[in-house]
Amino acid sequence: MTAARQIDPPEHRYAEELEFLAAADTGPRPPGWLLTPRAVVTFVAGSGGTPVEGRVIAPKFVGDRALIERCVVTLAGERGLLLVGEPGTAKSMLSELFAAAICGTSALAVQGTAGTSEDQLRYGWNYALLLAKGPAPEALVPSPILTAMTTGAVARVEEITRCLPEVQDALVSIMSERRISVPELAGTDGAVSHAVPGFCLIATANLRDRGVSEMSAALKRRFNFEVVPPIADLDAEVALVGRQAKAAVERGGAAFAVDDAVLETLVTAFRDLRTGLSAEGWEVERPSSVMSTAEAVAVAASIGLSAAYLPGPDPLSLLPGHLLGVVRKDDPGDAARLLAYWDGALRRRAEGGARMWRQLWEHRDVLRD
Amino acid sequence: MTDPRSQVERVAGDERVQLIGVRHHSPVLAAAVPALLDAFAPRTLLVELPAEMQPWVGWLADPDTVAPVALAAAGTDGPVAFYPFADFSPELAALRWARRHGVPVVCCDLPLSDPAWLSRSHGPSDGPSLSAAVQRTLTGRAGDDLWDRWIEAGSPGSSPEAVRRAALAAGWALRHDAERHGVDPLDLRREACMRGHVRGTAGRVAAVVGAFHAPALLDGPVAEGTGDGPVPVISLVPYTFDLLDARSGYPAGIRDPRWQQAVLDRGADPGRIRLATHTFAVEVTRELRAQGRPAGPGEAAEVVRLAADLASLRALPAPGRGELVEALQTVLAQGAPTGIGRGVARAMEAVLIGRRRGRLPAGAPRTGLLPAVEAELSRLKLPGPGQAAQRIRLDPLRSPTDRARDLAIRRLSACGAAYGNAGTTGPALGGEALTTAWRVEWTPATDAALAVAGLHGVTLAQATEGLLALRRRRELADGGPTAEQALIGLEQAAASGLPGLAALRLADVRQAVCHGGAVAHIVAGLHLLSRLARGHVTGLPEPLDEIAGVRDDLHAAAVGAVAGLTGSTRVEDARALHDLVQAADEAGRLMRLDHAVRALTRDGTPLISGAAAAVGVLLGHSEPSDFGRRLASWADLPAAEATDRLRGALSVAGALLQAGGEVLDPLLDVVDHLSDDDFVRRLPALRGGFDAMSPADRDRLLRTVGERHGAVAERLAADPVTVAGWLAADRAGLAAVLALGLDPSPASPVPTVSSAPRGGCPGAISPAQRWRLLLGRETDRLPAEQRRLATALDEIYGAGRGEGSYTVDGGGAGREPAYPQARDWLDDLDALFGTEVRDEVLARAAERGRLDAVLAADPQRVRPSVDLLHAVLSLAGGLPESRLAKLRPLVARLTAELTAQLARRIRPALTGLGTPRPTNRPTGRLDLAATVRRNLHTVRLGPDGEAQILPERPVFRSPGRRSVDWQVVLLVDVSGSMEPSTVWAALTASVLAGVPALRTHFVTFSTEVIDLTDRVTDPLSLLLEIRVGGGTHITAGLRYARQITVVPRRTMVIVISDFEEGFAIGDLLAAVRALADDGTTLLGCASLDDKGRPRYSAGVAAQLVAAGMPVAALSPTELARWIGDQVR
Repeated sequence: MTAARQIDPPEHRYAEELEFLAAADTGPRPPGWLLTPRAVVTFVAGSGGTPVEGRVIAPKFVGDRALIERCVVTLAGERGLLLVGEPGTAKSMLSELFAAAICGTSALAVQGTAGTSEDQLRYGWNYALLLAKGPAPEALVPSPILTAMTTGAVARVEEITRCLPEVQDALVSIMSERRISVPELAGTDGAVSHAVPGFCLIATANLRDRGVSEMSAALKRRFNFEVVPPIADLDAEVALVGRQAKAAVERGGAAFAVDDAVLETLVTAFRDLRTGLSAEGWEVERPSSVMSTAEAVAVAASIGLSAAYLPGPDPLSLLPGHLLGVVRKDDPGDAARLLAYWDGALRRRAEGGARMWRQLWEHRDVLRD
Repeated sequence: MTDPRSQVERVAGDERVQLIGVRHHSPVLAAAVPALLDAFAPRTLLVELPAEMQPWVGWLADPDTVAPVALAAAGTDGPVAFYPFADFSPELAALRWARRHGVPVVCCDLPLSDPAWLSRSHGPSDGPSLSAAVQRTLTGRAGDDLWDRWIEAGSPGSSPEAVRRAALAAGWALRHDAERHGVDPLDLRREACMRGHVRGTAGRVAAVVGAFHAPALLDGPVAEGTGDGPVPVISLVPYTFDLLDARSGYPAGIRDPRWQQAVLDRGADPGRIRLATHTFAVEVTRELRAQGRPAGPGEAAEVVRLAADLASLRALPAPGRGELVEALQTVLAQGAPTGIGRGVARAMEAVLIGRRRGRLPAGAPRTGLLPAVEAELSRLKLPGPGQAAQRIRLDPLRSPTDRARDLAIRRLSACGAAYGNAGTTGPALGGEALTTAWRVEWTPATDAALAVAGLHGVTLAQATEGLLALRRRRELADGGPTAEQALIGLEQAAASGLPGLAALRLADVRQAVCHGGAVAHIVAGLHLLSRLARGHVTGLPEPLDEIAGVRDDLHAAAVGAVAGLTGSTRVEDARALHDLVQAADEAGRLMRLDHAVRALTRDGTPLISGAAAAVGVLLGHSEPSDFGRRLASWADLPAAEATDRLRGALSVAGALLQAGGEVLDPLLDVVDHLSDDDFVRRLPALRGGFDAMSPADRDRLLRTVGERHGAVAERLAADPVTVAGWLAADRAGLAAVLALGLDPSPASPVPTVSSAPRGGCPGAISPAQRWRLLLGRETDRLPAEQRRLATALDEIYGAGRGEGSYTVDGGGAGREPAYPQARDWLDDLDALFGTEVRDEVLARAAERGRLDAVLAADPQRVRPSVDLLHAVLSLAGGLPESRLAKLRPLVARLTAELTAQLARRIRPALTGLGTPRPTNRPTGRLDLAATVRRNLHTVRLGPDGEAQILPERPVFRSPGRRSVDWQVVLLVDVSGSMEPSTVWAALTASVLAGVPALRTHFVTFSTEVIDLTDRVTDPLSLLLEIRVGGGTHITAGLRYARQITVVPRRTMVIVISDFEEGFAIGDLLAAVRALADDGTTLLGCASLDDKGRPRYSAGVAAQLVAAGMPVAALSPTELARWIGDQVR
């Protein structure tokens, strides 16, 4: 029994289901894969309510099935997969799910930051050992990608675009030549590490903070791009937000007591501001801040926590303040855009008589500065 | 529950009747049709075409007819039916088979003259919604319909009979769904008529009908069409693939006709379809390469693999259109919808849609637009070919005939047929003309234009719609439509009576004007929409439903645009602010408006801040008394600030002051209580502020002020010397009392000698005289000394503009003769107001074009400021070289001083570029020497006696070489006028040019791009070379910047503009995206000056930010710091 974790990796959480799927589908698999491509699609996107060999597989990713199919086919061809999208669209979760289903581990990951160096993508050295003993295989510190190459697993690079472009380009040779040479070890066995069949790479990139514009054309050409859209269906998103906020609040031992109408109002407001179009088709001016599902979960959880620990006012009255907090991240003009949302879509709904929206309209003074 | 299988068996298994359920375009089924008919060998072929089309069947199947062609039936009220045919239309395949085998063909659909057609709801009826139950069992993309998945993707390679049965099953499923909601009565009647034909035809019959109708054709009641409705005119016209593509907006189309054609040409054989994907993938990559984007055989191979693997994952026999499109986008588009994604979309359009054009066989009857137009004109009693020109006056809002005539004339002109010339309709003061006058004549040009328009339709309405829609698609392809194009397009579509297109154009307006429109466009859009909403545009008496929504969006955009005025220094913008705010206020968008107006009051330029404060009062957002206090406090501000604030406030709310009361009182008090010296010092600034009011307004204000002070006695109680003596004695007494620490005020009021009733005037200039000076009116009633002040100021401000400026003596603006010499005037200013004020007045004079004053100024004596330099340079633009030469010393001195000042300020931000530094951060470049040095203290002797170093703290080298040799491209917008930003940009560029690590380019753009880089080291010649004027074409500037970029990764492109792009926004965004994709660092400066108050189009700026160009208002120092940060 492992100690309790805040987040359980998918290969552990769904271990039993993965085993079942591996046994259930005996079709041909690409080299190094634990499941057939079809079973991977089923694992991620669910079996659509119909049982597979007597068991219904729940969807883990809420979204388009065709997207999952394209991703799986890309990976089956050992080509790089780059998942791009707005922040908070579950790209990282999707890549973990693929890695867990294909090779049984999602741990071979590099987190891209401005400080990520080539060492973390290729190999580094234990400098103490290097200086003391000179270049030797035991002084070499393999990167997760090198490990994935030598074991034929799926390597993940999170937020690849946050790495400096020179550092990103270290991946070009890995992906085209499928080997890493270590010139310092020239003449020994460890001089060249070759990729074992099954090795492939999933990268994620965020369209907001840097975009893929700084990636070199050479690297872009080695990836198939998939845009992960925000959740298209309101009900699915409300359910997801409710589920995750509930889990977050209950992890702290409190009870989650935000009713569905509030959640739906919250998610609707987020969707309106995210898409620039209200549910009724009215234009809404989009703030430049990210209005992702993940942010909605955070707001729902905060409202839930304050309802649990500081009971008092109507939970809806907290929403304007939280929304202001979400949009006020980078551009001061965003606060004005939120006011425009109150002036436009929200006021019309309130005038239309919707109860929740009327209450929100009455709480508008919170937004005045 | 009916069992689907038995139902399909019943429909498909009839002995005598072979039902072939089709969709109008279906390559898989079209490939199967000849084999099906061969096998069944019918004696008669029934096709689902109205009976009127019977005579045309022969022409349609003629071996010389090249598809695509279209059969159109047009009534008097526009087209009633439209049937495009391509090689992959199963009906056409059946008709051709019948002709080859000599089998008679019967058009079995209800005649179009049957009254039942009139009950049809507008637009082609969409197929009923799809059976969700069937759909779930098939994997695939969300957008596909049942037919695409089942027949087009699922059936290649099946036997013809299996394809037929699959199609019938799909039709049955659709039907089953539709029956739950009830089938359209028209459809029921058509089916009854078709049943009649099926039953009435002897022998074996094959019926090619819509799959939806097929299940109902075997049994049920029979009816016969009646022909008492209007008889339509049938035309057979050539057609094209790009019109056939569903995205063109024409009815009954299909996506990507060239792909469909390819499927048919390959006989719907899975192996050969797979080969077709190779061709298409290669063609798309070639097309991309032609656009200059990297894509080669490697990508093409990956596209083919991905499409094939997707098909097999989805258990399809061959990749369909959907799989190909998905694979192309995944492999090539790189997740970028604007940059390369747009290129991919364009390439896919070129390759998948194709350019095939249909042709009619020789000898086919002449049909189409021209006869239809002639008939329509003679019906409306308008001159046709060969008739004399007429002058007519129409009243379309009252008379229906006039409305039809007006519509026809407008449609003809929209088609480009020079037929009607609009005449004048007489005066329409302050309103719009509701009647129209025309001179109409059929010219040869009309013939020519209609021959071209005939491709787009067989009636005038259809052709107009087609042409206007084509124009719109062209604009879209060019990245537009721009705000202006959208507004023109909406007006045209509405005037031509095309509700469908007008709705699209309305959406364009929403898109282009709300997001990228300048303030002027928003105002024009609101005006057009209100005309439409009132039904004053004759083509559209019924306003569109969406108008209210778009108007609301425009109001929202107006509120959004308010923030973009922050940095304006134009009085027109202050007035526009008032209009915008009023429009938005009516729409009830108060929260943001309130926020925006308050932000303007706080952050705006003095002019806008003043205007915003006044607008706040007009809207009731703030109290008049608050505004009054604020107004009064401005009198103490620095000169230029006070002038501009007053100008802003008064240009919006002059009338508020005239009313007097609590708005005016505080200002009166302040003016009254100023000492004479202070008053004289403040006078030029305040006089400039009041200049915003027209002379008549100023007269009225003067009268209001006079009421407060009462009748001003022009004569003193005693002779002036005596009064002055009294005053001096009083003052001395007061000073003595104060010196003793006594407070005289509660006990006795301050003694006054002024004859004003409430006068608190501490000087020799009475309140009334002060106001005469401030307002520049009734100066002839001033004493001589004060008249000198007035004259010195009149020299620059003149009598004013607007109402009352031409009255001979109503305001009593008696004028002293102007100064004969500018030098005298300047000396006078110096003597009267002091040097500081003189410089300010000089700058104002330059703004107003007083070149002589500027030339008279001694270069060594003026205080250098960017405002003065800017004013002088604005003058220099229009000067011949001979006069410019005189100006040069002044400009030279100003430039030199300012550049030196600026250099002192921004050099520190740029020093130290290019030094690589050691760091503790592991960068991968180990600095071995430094590491050994730092860790020497850890050296130990190992067990084997060797010295070992234990590097606790390794040292690395920062990735330092990036800072060498950066290219900085300053793109400066010179379209409007010489802005202070332009001056600052030139000065900054010349300072940057002195930094060794940077190569600085200075490029100006309007509609043309001029590279002034060779002068960048000399700010003087740089500034004098700048030529202002022209439209704004930022895209051109950016394209040039991309050309001169050597290493994108080490290039900064800085655009200094108000971002009011006059060309397609789409192109602008694409250009930005292209630069960003190259890796160039981009920055947009909405303003570059000391104040950081931009005036710009907020909508466009927001889109630029999304495309990868951050937009900010910066000071030169901040810009230099930013450049330093990028380089380090």
